[in-house]
Amino acid sequence: MTWLRERAEWFKWAFFAFLAGAVAYDFMAERHDPHFFGDTLIGFWSVFALFGCLGMIVICKGISHAWLMKQEDYYDDK
Amino acid sequence: MTSSMLSPLAQLHPWLMHPATLFILGALLMPVLCRINLKNAALVIIPLVAFFQINMLPETFGQVSWMGFDMVFGRVDKLTYVFLHVFTLMAVIGSLFALKVEDWGQHTAAWLYVAGSLGVTLAGDYLTLFIFWELMAVASTFLIWYRKKKKSIEAGFRYLLVHVLGGLILLAGIFLKYRATGGDLTFVQILPTDAGLGDYLIMIGFMLNAAVPPIHAWLPDAYPEATVTGAVFMCAFTTKTAVYVLARGFPGFEALAILGAIMALYGVAYAVIENDARRILAYHIVSQVGYMVCGIGIGTAMAVNGAVAHAYAHILYKALLFMGAGAVLEMTGRSKLNELGGLYAKMPLALIFTVIGGIAISGFPLTSGFVSKSMIIAAAGEAHRTGLLLMLTLAAVGTFLSVGIKLPYYIWFGGKSEPSVPHAQDPPACMLWAMGIAAFMCFFLGVYPEFLYRMLPFAVDYQPYTAYHLSETLQLLGFTGLGFYLMVKKLGPEPKMNLDLDWFYRKGSLKFMAFASGPLSKVNDWVGEVYRSIGLTWTMLTARALSWFDKEGIDYVVDGTAKGVVDTGDRLRQAQTGKIQHYIGAAALLLFGIMIVVILL
Repeated sequence: MTWLRERAEWFKWAFFAFLAGAVAYDFMAERHDPHFFGDTLIGFWSVFALFGCLGMIVICKGISHAWLMKQEDYYDDK
Repeated sequence: MTSSMLSPLAQLHPWLMHPATLFILGALLMPVLCRINLKNAALVIIPLVAFFQINMLPETFGQVSWMGFDMVFGRVDKLTYVFLHVFTLMAVIGSLFALKVEDWGQHTAAWLYVAGSLGVTLAGDYLTLFIFWELMAVASTFLIWYRKKKKSIEAGFRYLLVHVLGGLILLAGIFLKYRATGGDLTFVQILPTDAGLGDYLIMIGFMLNAAVPPIHAWLPDAYPEATVTGAVFMCAFTTKTAVYVLARGFPGFEALAILGAIMALYGVAYAVIENDARRILAYHIVSQVGYMVCGIGIGTAMAVNGAVAHAYAHILYKALLFMGAGAVLEMTGRSKLNELGGLYAKMPLALIFTVIGGIAISGFPLTSGFVSKSMIIAAAGEAHRTGLLLMLTLAAVGTFLSVGIKLPYYIWFGGKSEPSVPHAQDPPACMLWAMGIAAFMCFFLGVYPEFLYRMLPFAVDYQPYTAYHLSETLQLLGFTGLGFYLMVKKLGPEPKMNLDLDWFYRKGSLKFMAFASGPLSKVNDWVGEVYRSIGLTWTMLTARALSWFDKEGIDYVVDGTAKGVVDTGDRLRQAQTGKIQHYIGAAALLLFGIMIVVILL
């Protein structure tokens, strides 16, 4: 495990290769029975996932910092 | 499932074929079993017997007439069977995981809880269902209390109160239904067009156990406070029993479709920001059960199949995740992500198993999530519910982000090369075996989905391994990973907690009490003071005045009259001397007086 961890750089490039491969595969994947317009666009789910993920982190963390986040003993105070 | 296959247990006694009976007997005998060192054998054998016993159940059994009610303790069809299958399998895994626990009370509570779930699943009428429903609530509360920490005891009380409330709503619904149907309490599907108030109350009772927002906060409040092994049972049974009863009674209710999709996102949103590993997983139950509730709400055969399949898959990978986080808690005493990290070399097997749970919940190809979750999303697409489809897909992105990557990353790596807990090590063999079985099932269902699809209530016409679905999944997972890679610093765990709707009965009630004992009480005191100083004084003054009037007025007049009469009588008595010359004199004086008055006037 430590040996693998020392070669984290390899994983990074393998990961980027995987992303490129996933988009490339979308060009070939046959679209059977598309349910809505997004299903017909190549790479739609890549964009959806990336922006969905970034948006979720920003929005959830934002709401948490602005409003929801409290000290861990918040409920202990009587 | 045919009566010709009655098991030896049934021949021994008909009630023994009910799998709940086995667990109840086992639970009651647990103190003795511990005393005579048969606990471990029982923990392995009884769940296994129950697991095989469910294949030998007749379609109907255990009919009892009681106080005019027709109770059915056993009703087996395909929907029942698939839940019985996964519940008993989970009982095997959970009991194996808990093998090292010496406290017999925990085993008793866990098995009574399992018995409650099996009883609900097999119940053919609402009354039987209610009895086992309450057994579940009480037994599971003990799984929280047995952690024996102040926070657990408090969380257990809140959990119990919320579930008692849910039980009361359910009972009110059952009463109304009893009146509406003229005494028929058979538990069958209700069409949305036929539903009355009683049906909706029953649905709300079920929804509370399914943790549908806004009545969900008991779940992330209680589960992280349960014992390590108790949480493994709890994550499997309460919500999934609720999914079963919703699938049985309320498919096609639009409210469930919408609330389910909201649930899926709500749970994920909290999982992104939470710090405690078991709290993240608890929020993820809300999210994943959201998929199931949404599927039931869509109500098509494919959607309900998807919901049931997802419940089956979810029980196994969620239990695996809870076992992973529980093993970390057991071995390190910590469950908060900010206190963990760098454990990859210390707990490698727990890491591998938890990652398997994480990729299964995220729906990686070849895992169970891929073949079950996608069925609900595809069903939403086929029903032309694009909004639901996008919400559920976005929730899948958040799932991979929070449980697939964030959770294992911050427990085992977190950018730390030194272990945060130097003495940490992989958990005992029984725990690893239980995790291994669950991990195997995650892959087995993913590679061989027909095993699961065969058990589903409706015929399955769905193929998960298509080129487009694979492409969609790889993109979703890959680019979510990219999002994490870009934002890893922003996602760092913070030693804080986040408010949820339990605020209303935790802080909200305290604030109300503070309001009641503060401003409200002050107003009350002020009103009292005003009454005392003005009202009371005025009353006293009035009373005094009345008293004076009574004494000086009424009494004077009354007493004076009496005295006057007496005095007059006295004087008259003294005037009566009996001497004629006195009387003549007095008459002359009187006459003389009258004359003067007449003359003067």
